[in-house]
Amino acid sequence: MAGVELTTVRKTYPNGAEAIFGVDMKINDGELVVFVGPSGCGKSTLLRMVAGLESITSGTIEIDGKVVNDVSPSERDVAMVFQNYALYPHMSVRGNMSYGLKNRNIPKAEIDQIVEKTAKTLRIYDYLDRQPNQLSGGQRQRVAMGRAIVRNPKVFLFDEPLSNLDAKLRVQMRIEIKRLQRSMNVTSIYVTHDQTEAMTLADRLAVINEGRVEQMGAPMELYSNPASLFVASFIGAPQINLIPVRFEAGKLGNGSLSLSGFSDLPTDTDLVLGVRPDALELGKSDQLKMNVELIEQHGGENLLYGALAGVVDKDGNSTEICLKSGQETLPAINEVLELGFDVSQAFVFRKDTGERLQ
Amino acid sequence: MIRSVINHTILLAGLAFLLVPIALIFFSSTHDTSTLTRQGLQLFPGSSAVQNYHDILFLEAGFADGITTLSMLKNSFIVGFGVAFLTTLFSLLSAFGIVYFRHQWSGFLFWLIFATLLFPLESRFITTFKVTTDLGLINTHMGIILPTLAAALGTFFFRQFFLTLPEEYAEAAILDGAGPWKFFKDFILPLSWARAGAVFVVSFMIGWNQYLWPVMISTDESMYTLIRGIQFVGQETGSGMAFVIISILPPFLMILGFQRWFFNDLSGGQ
Repeated sequence: MAGVELTTVRKTYPNGAEAIFGVDMKINDGELVVFVGPSGCGKSTLLRMVAGLESITSGTIEIDGKVVNDVSPSERDVAMVFQNYALYPHMSVRGNMSYGLKNRNIPKAEIDQIVEKTAKTLRIYDYLDRQPNQLSGGQRQRVAMGRAIVRNPKVFLFDEPLSNLDAKLRVQMRIEIKRLQRSMNVTSIYVTHDQTEAMTLADRLAVINEGRVEQMGAPMELYSNPASLFVASFIGAPQINLIPVRFEAGKLGNGSLSLSGFSDLPTDTDLVLGVRPDALELGKSDQLKMNVELIEQHGGENLLYGALAGVVDKDGNSTEICLKSGQETLPAINEVLELGFDVSQAFVFRKDTGERLQ
Repeated sequence: MIRSVINHTILLAGLAFLLVPIALIFFSSTHDTSTLTRQGLQLFPGSSAVQNYHDILFLEAGFADGITTLSMLKNSFIVGFGVAFLTTLFSLLSAFGIVYFRHQWSGFLFWLIFATLLFPLESRFITTFKVTTDLGLINTHMGIILPTLAAALGTFFFRQFFLTLPEEYAEAAILDGAGPWKFFKDFILPLSWARAGAVFVVSFMIGWNQYLWPVMISTDESMYTLIRGIQFVGQETGSGMAFVIISILPPFLMILGFQRWFFNDLSGGQ
């Protein structure tokens, strides 16, 4: 069991491009931390630095209390599941799973025992003698997991392991990964760009943007208390409603929109009001008016999309907003709905810096 | 229908174009020399096959009768296999180095190796001869083999293949505790096996068919290869034709044996 600690970790490529700008992070023993962010934000780079596959420009990475900056990847005692699984194509499933153990000079009988036990847990025992190209996507995924598990590493690293699976399998494997991680209680870092995966898997989430950790915390904490505009817009599906406003005469306003209940906001800059689709309530008050354009019926709930009435930008485009409501809410298209929300559940951000003000 | 007739005609014409010369040689090798001198090459079997092949198998030539078909066959095999084995090995190793040890000069090194394609052995005979003699390799098998090895084609072939392999193989192997040598032995070799077979066959033929370089670098009669031996048997003699057949037989059998690997890989299939 081991924690991972990153101290002002930076990564600059030889051509001068900076990928990681000083990351500080402490991952506790047995914790599952998810790095989430858009593609190119540096989350995979950070994971690969922990694995030792990328060099560290400055700062330190500690695993189990030991600085591993100069420790070779194989001696860091980490195991990694790759996005494309990287199963060795010329080895059977058994060969794939036992290769790392063989290189560590573990006796063959013991290897067989570990591999077979793991294969049974992952329900791939019957496929031990097959080649990777004879397996389905889900089975390959399990083999990739098995190859990591047999090593019994201090830290598990997952690099978008589910993005090559179809939607249904992805949900299944997500649950399975969570269950396995719980039962093995191994410190894990999981990289994904999928916020649903991130929300559902993580003990704690680190939202990464342009090489910096924007915010780190429990998924619900990030959802209900985002530190920045980026975190608010990245976490949550459907996406948070973002309404451009300015603070004037004690009210947030734009066009015919005028919202009270906000105070102590700067008047000299553009602001963004963020309201979650599930924080909006139908008929509660008439703070916002939405002209219904599209209804998505998801079964248990309906998502209503439409233009926010009275607010247009300088190009004449309206602001789209979304309301999450029950399955019985089925207004006609072009009907105007009056929506209200609790001011305490809304966020106000500076538009230029993304900083959260309220 | 018409289309397929045309297609088949073209294919048959191509086949004839390739096979008729070999058939001519083969059938001529069954006639006696006087028939060949009087009537030219033959397209039908004759009656002197046994005599011709017997003559050629027990050929003794050279200043002291030291050149025999068997000794030439032996030399050709040593040179052929030597070139094939070493070319394949060096191509694999150099491509492995270029692709997996990403040194800042590796791109430059690769193009430098690739540029050697522009300078066939014939164009650098004088310098190569000097180097080879300085190394004391005159009149040795190694002297015939070594200069042929600098063939960038194999390196290029393997490099292109390695570049198609996902980088994650190497990374997963590193995490699994495999060093460079282990990675070469456990991944590169088994994954390149079929392709290596193709390179092996092609370089075997290059080694086997060498003519000018062996003439340059070996004067000793015990170093004669089959291709050089053709000069002793005459061009329009029955036994000469038999000799040519014997000299093309081993590469032919080799291709036959490796055919599945060979065609799979040069045509890019799996």
